[in-house]
Amino acid sequence: MIIRKIQIDNYLCYYDTNTFELSEGLNIILGENGEGKTKFFESVDWLFNGENRELDMLVSAKKLNETEIGDSFRVRVSMTVEQYGEKSIITKSFLAKKEKANECSTSSFMIEGISENSSGERTQVDGQALLDRIFPFQIRKYSMFKGEAELNIFESDSALANLINLFSEAKHYDKYSEKGAFLREKAEKAVEDSSKLDRKNEALYKKLEGDIIYLEREKAKYLVHLNSTEEEIRKIEGNLQLAESHVSNADALETLNKRIKDIEERISYLTGRIDENYTTSLFDENWILVNFESFHKEFAEKVSAHSKTRRELQSQFDEQKGIIKGEKKAKAELLNNAIPLPNNIPSKAIMEEMLNDEICKVCNREAKKGSDAYEFMMKRLKTYLESQVTEDNKPDKDEPLFKYDYTNRLDNLSISHEDNLKNLRLIRTKIKELFEFNDDRKKDIEELNEQLEKEKTEREKILGNSSIGAEKLSDVLKNYNAWQRDLKNRNQDQVDYTTKLKSLESELKAKKEEKDKIDTSSANSFLIKTRNILRDIETIFIDTKEKKFDEFIEKLQTKSNNFFKTINIDAFTGTIVFTRRNKVNRTIVEVELQEDGRTFYKPNQSLLTSMHISILFAISELASEIKEENFPMIFDAPTSSFGENKTAQFLNLIFETENQKILLIKDFLHTDKATKTLSIKKEFENVRRDKAFWVKLERPFDPNNLKTINSQVITL
Amino acid sequence: MARKDDILKSFLTHELLENKYEFKKEELPTTVRESLNSDKPIIKAIALIVEGLDGTSPVTDSVLRNQVTQFLNEAL
Repeated sequence: MIIRKIQIDNYLCYYDTNTFELSEGLNIILGENGEGKTKFFESVDWLFNGENRELDMLVSAKKLNETEIGDSFRVRVSMTVEQYGEKSIITKSFLAKKEKANECSTSSFMIEGISENSSGERTQVDGQALLDRIFPFQIRKYSMFKGEAELNIFESDSALANLINLFSEAKHYDKYSEKGAFLREKAEKAVEDSSKLDRKNEALYKKLEGDIIYLEREKAKYLVHLNSTEEEIRKIEGNLQLAESHVSNADALETLNKRIKDIEERISYLTGRIDENYTTSLFDENWILVNFESFHKEFAEKVSAHSKTRRELQSQFDEQKGIIKGEKKAKAELLNNAIPLPNNIPSKAIMEEMLNDEICKVCNREAKKGSDAYEFMMKRLKTYLESQVTEDNKPDKDEPLFKYDYTNRLDNLSISHEDNLKNLRLIRTKIKELFEFNDDRKKDIEELNEQLEKEKTEREKILGNSSIGAEKLSDVLKNYNAWQRDLKNRNQDQVDYTTKLKSLESELKAKKEEKDKIDTSSANSFLIKTRNILRDIETIFIDTKEKKFDEFIEKLQTKSNNFFKTINIDAFTGTIVFTRRNKVNRTIVEVELQEDGRTFYKPNQSLLTSMHISILFAISELASEIKEENFPMIFDAPTSSFGENKTAQFLNLIFETENQKILLIKDFLHTDKATKTLSIKKEFENVRRDKAFWVKLERPFDPNNLKTINSQVITL
Repeated sequence: MARKDDILKSFLTHELLENKYEFKKEELPTTVRESLNSDKPIIKAIALIVEGLDGTSPVTDSVLRNQVTQFLNEAL
């Protein structure tokens, strides 16, 4: 669709009839501030969207002034368009009747439509219907932009939904994911009802259902936490980057930030290692025994003495009883009639070891096989082994001296306490070491804190070397450290929430599997199979919808970046990245500029504008592809932040694009300071365009008197 | 190609059908009409839903549910 002509009659500064014969490609309308550019834009906007109120505010003051009281004139905006070889004229107008000096009444507006076929036959049609048919409302939304601020269409959450509805196949898939969920839920319900009929599982089933509902709720809650934390992180990072943009030595700042982060991480690691829970050690079950050693010594001595006495008595008893074996052994083997050691000393294992090594480890002498010493040890082992054989079966009519061998048990107790003494002694050492370890770590942390303070002071110095005023800078500094702290905390929250979500998900999965198991054993098998297939179908529907959505976003991203790179040729651009974010009930798309995968939070206005324009061009190109038609775009002052050179570059670029474009700009005009004469700069000759106009107020005029205001349209 | 066939095709290219159901791509139907005659329950169920939502006479939720679950309960 091409706008061939726009005619404006008696609309504000456009006194009488003013015609813009437009060309197919790039149309540039030059004009100084306040000389009619924006009024041109507003008149077209009024034609498309204007409401039927306060029409007297749209009347040309000059025309009203020239009209006699009681006379009328028409205020009119008319557009001639061409589409598929047919011409259409859409006219919106109302009648203004002068009632008094400077006052008029107005009729309601009317929209007329005229269709003209290729042979020139004209037909009167409904103007609004004609407008909506040739230039649909949804497309018009992405066709007209006033100023740089309006270019950021993604500031509104609904923008994406509109785009998808207009251009993406994804919209056809919405209903599938909804119906897929509906069918799956019904199938789950059928299985549950069938399972519940099986009484034996009733209680467990109900509990599982309760657990699943609880876990789902928890999961949703943590998802909300995670989403808002991620949003906060982005906000804080943006604030930090904004603050950092005021700093001249950005590289040094980045290095310092990294060092500060490292130190903070080390401090946090060391703090985690300090365990000052001394109470645990103090309440250790053995703690009470730290002073046990002296008691043990006394105990061991007594046990030893007792054991000796017992053996003496036993020896005497054996002797008296004429137990030759014991007597002989005692006498033959020990010098000076000494009392033999208990059989179990050295232990069996030690004896075997000594025999094996052929060394007596008690007196540290060799005991080669066959030697007396070896034989002695062998006998001792045998004696021990014999002593271990239960003698129940032996016919022993005599009562033993000691019915119970408590002495042996006391011996063992004493030995075991002796062994344990080492551990008891360690309790003190362990606590001491813990104190020492903690003290050392605290010293490390202290040193690191000092280092951290130094780095932070250094950072403040760099931040102080800033490009903004002292007062604003103090705000930045005040907030900077707070933001850094916030960022650290939010990052930790993010990790915590992600971990919690993962654990909830795995818990949920386990519960669902458990429930499925009951279903498998209780419900009808065909119901289960139906449910499983409907689960898969839902997955297919959701994935396909997301895939289509992502394909659209990727296409938009590629197209936007192509324009973006061309507009900013030879300059830094970064990359426009569209990110899909799933909110609780909806999906939104956020657009950001990235540099090497890092968000570029504070691009200058010119870069931002070129990014927005690139996206709009991409959308326009998508519209052309999908609707198989081009639609015009009208921009009022879209490049105010560009500067003349970049504007010229930009205009030369969009000259190459296919759509019809109407651009209203204030560049390339020069006012002679002495004569106040306005002229067009020579540079404009180099700007490629299909058509150009200059709107300028008829001179002389009084800026305070609207009756003198008349914008003239000069075709260049 | 009708939109409903495009939609169906995009569903049938999902990897789940190849990985879990072990359908070979070349064996899969390409239109809703063909899919409605498929001997594979999941394919026919998808086709029933596409026909119900984007076919010549769209159906209500309850009709769709009856058609799909009744078919699956009987076929499985």
